Amino acid sequence: MKNFLRRLRKHSRISYYSFWFLIVFYFVSFFADLLVPYHFDEQFRNKPYHPPTKIHFVDNEGKFHIRPFVYNTSMDDPVFRTYREDYSIRYPVKFFVDGHERKVLFVFKTKKYLFGVDRPAGIFLFGTDTYGRDIFSRLLYGGRISLSISMIGVLISFVLGMITGGFAGYFGGITDQILMRMVEILMVFPSFYLMLSLRAMFPLNLSSIQVYFLIVLILSLIGWAGLARIIRGMVLSIKEEDYVLAARSLGLSHWKILVFHILPNTFSYTITAITISVPGYIIGESALSLLGLGIQEPYPSWGNILSSTVGNLKVIGDAPWLLLAGAFIFIILINFNILGDALRNVLDPKNW
Amino acid sequence: MEQVLEIKNLCVVRTDGVKFFPVLNDIELSIYRGEMFCLVGESGSGKTTLALSIMRLLPKSFRILSGKIILCKKEITDTNENILRRLRGNLVSIIFQDPGAYLDPLFNVDKHLQESFHGKQEEFHELKIKTLKEVGLEPEILSSYPHQLSGGQQQRVLIAMALINNPSVIIADEPTTALDVLTTRQIIRLLDRIRAKYNPGMLFITHDLNLALDTGTRIGIMYRGYMVEVFRPQEGKPLHPYTRILMGYSDEKSSDILSNETPQHDRKTEKCVFFERCPEKEEAICARKIGFTWRNETTGIRCIKHERNSQV
Repeated sequence: MKNFLRRLRKHSRISYYSFWFLIVFYFVSFFADLLVPYHFDEQFRNKPYHPPTKIHFVDNEGKFHIRPFVYNTSMDDPVFRTYREDYSIRYPVKFFVDGHERKVLFVFKTKKYLFGVDRPAGIFLFGTDTYGRDIFSRLLYGGRISLSISMIGVLISFVLGMITGGFAGYFGGITDQILMRMVEILMVFPSFYLMLSLRAMFPLNLSSIQVYFLIVLILSLIGWAGLARIIRGMVLSIKEEDYVLAARSLGLSHWKILVFHILPNTFSYTITAITISVPGYIIGESALSLLGLGIQEPYPSWGNILSSTVGNLKVIGDAPWLLLAGAFIFIILINFNILGDALRNVLDPKNW
Repeated sequence: MEQVLEIKNLCVVRTDGVKFFPVLNDIELSIYRGEMFCLVGESGSGKTTLALSIMRLLPKSFRILSGKIILCKKEITDTNENILRRLRGNLVSIIFQDPGAYLDPLFNVDKHLQESFHGKQEEFHELKIKTLKEVGLEPEILSSYPHQLSGGQQQRVLIAMALINNPSVIIADEPTTALDVLTTRQIIRLLDRIRAKYNPGMLFITHDLNLALDTGTRIGIMYRGYMVEVFRPQEGKPLHPYTRILMGYSDEKSSDILSNETPQHDRKTEKCVFFERCPEKEEAICARKIGFTWRNETTGIRCIKHERNSQV
C-alpha cells in the first residue's frame, strides 16, 4: 500500500490527490450522520428555497466576533422567495448542538449534531429545497446512497464479468459459446430501456431498502456484460502466453492458473475499467431517481435531489444551489477518471 | 543404472482437423539417472515437440498417435490431467528457452518458487534459500519481479523453479539460446553441477552440436522428426551419415548438402528420411523400410547400412 501510494504520487501528482480526495469523500459520505447540521428529513417549512446562509464575523455595528454567527431570516417576498436577515439577534455557530433524535450509522441514537445554530435561525450551507430541507445535509446523505450503490454495483458486475469472461476465454468451446451469446443478448438492448423495463418488473411501492438493493442489482446486471466480453478477449490472448505453459509445467491446475495467473494479468485493464465505470453507476442511479423509479423521497440521493429541479426552469433560476448535486456527480466523475487513467500504469509491475 | 525416462515408438502428429502432419516418428529414447542427454537437431526437427510430449503439454493441435512414454516406471502416455499435475514439477520439470516470457510478470521470484514447490510449507523457507544459493542467486532477489532481472538471472530463477522439488528428470529446452556466450557457459556449468549433485536424468535440448559434444554424456541426433542416432561422444566416432556431416567428418562437398534447400521427402515411400541428401546412399538398400536399432543399451542408429555393419 505504501509503495502503491509512492508510485501513484510519482506517476502524477494530480492522480495522487484524486485518490485521496475520493477516499476522503467516501469517508465523509459514509459518516454523513456525524457531519451534517440537520437530519435529511428535517423541514423548515417557513424557509423554502432559502439561499445559502451568510456566515458573519462582523456584526451590523462593525464589531468583529471570533465565533462566526448567522442571523435569522424571514421571507420578504413569497412570490420571488427573497429573504431578509434580522439583525437584532446574533446566532453564533455552535458545535454539538441538540436537534431531532436520529440514528447514527443505523445503530446509535443521538440528538447531537456536529454543528448548528439555535432555532429559529438555520444554517444552510448550500441553501434549502422546496420543503425547506438543508441541501448540504441531503447531499452528504445522498452521497452515501449514490456512492455506495456505485461501489457495490461495480463490485458485483466486476465479479460477474471476471467469472464469465474468465471461464469463457479460458475453457473456450461450448462454455464460451453459451456465455458469450448470453452476454450478446444482454448487450443488444439499449441499456437505459433495459434498466427501465427491469425496474418495471417490480412493484412501485417497495420500501426504500428494497429499492436500494434493486437498483444495485439492476445496474450491475446491466454493467457486467461489456466487462465480461473484454475480459474474455484478454484471457484468450493471455492464455497463449508462455508463462501459462510454464505454470502448467509446474503442475498447477487449470483453476489455479486461471485465478492466479490469467485473471491478475487482466487487472491492469479491469481496474481501470472499474474506476471509469463507477461514474456510469452514479449516473444510472441518478437517471432512475430522476424518473422517480429510484430512491424515493424523503430519502435523498444525488439523482432525486437533481430531479426536484426537472421541468421547473424557474426553480433553477431562483435556486441554482439545487444543481449542486450535479456538481458533486461531476467532481466524483472527474476524479475517478483521473485515478483510473493513472492506475493502469501504477498497477503494472513493468512500469515500476 | 536406473532408467528414469523411456520412450518407445513415439509418434506425434499435428492436425488441422482434416489432415495429419507427422511431427515425431517412431522416437526411441531412454534416459538414465545422472546422465546429461543432449538432443541435437535443426529447427523443426521436433526437439521441442518431444520435450512437450514428455511433459504431456502438447498444444491442442498435436496428438500422440502411438508409442509409450514411461516416466520413472509409470506410463504416462494416456494418464489424465489430474495425475499428470502431480507428476509435473515433482518427477519431471522443464526449463524453457526464453526465460523472460516464461515468468509471470506479476509474480516476484518468491511467489514463483512458492508455486513451484509441492512439499510441506514448513520446509519451503529453508529450501528456497538453499535452491537459490544452488543456482547462484542471492536471497535478496526474492522480492524482485521478472522484468527487474537480467536474462541470466531469469534463467537461473527458472532453473531454481525446476530444481526445487528435486525431480528425477529435468528437461532443458534450449535454455541458453537467448543468452550471450559467457552467460551460456555459466548456465551450462550450473546445469552440469546440478546434474552431478542431485543426480537427475537431464535432457538437454540444443541446436549447437559443439555445446552438446562438450557437455553431453550421450547425444541424440534428430532429423525431421526421426531420431537418427544416439551415441556417446567419448566412445569413438558416430556412424550415421547425417551426424558425420554435422561433425565435419565428411569432406567439404557433403557439408554443402545441408546448406542447400531441404529436398522434399516423399512420406508415402518407405525410404530413409535422409535418403535425398545422403552421400552414402545405395538405392537398392536404402529404399527399404528401416527402424531405429539399438546397438547396445545406450547407443543406436537408424540407418540400414550401418545397422548391418554394426551387426557384423
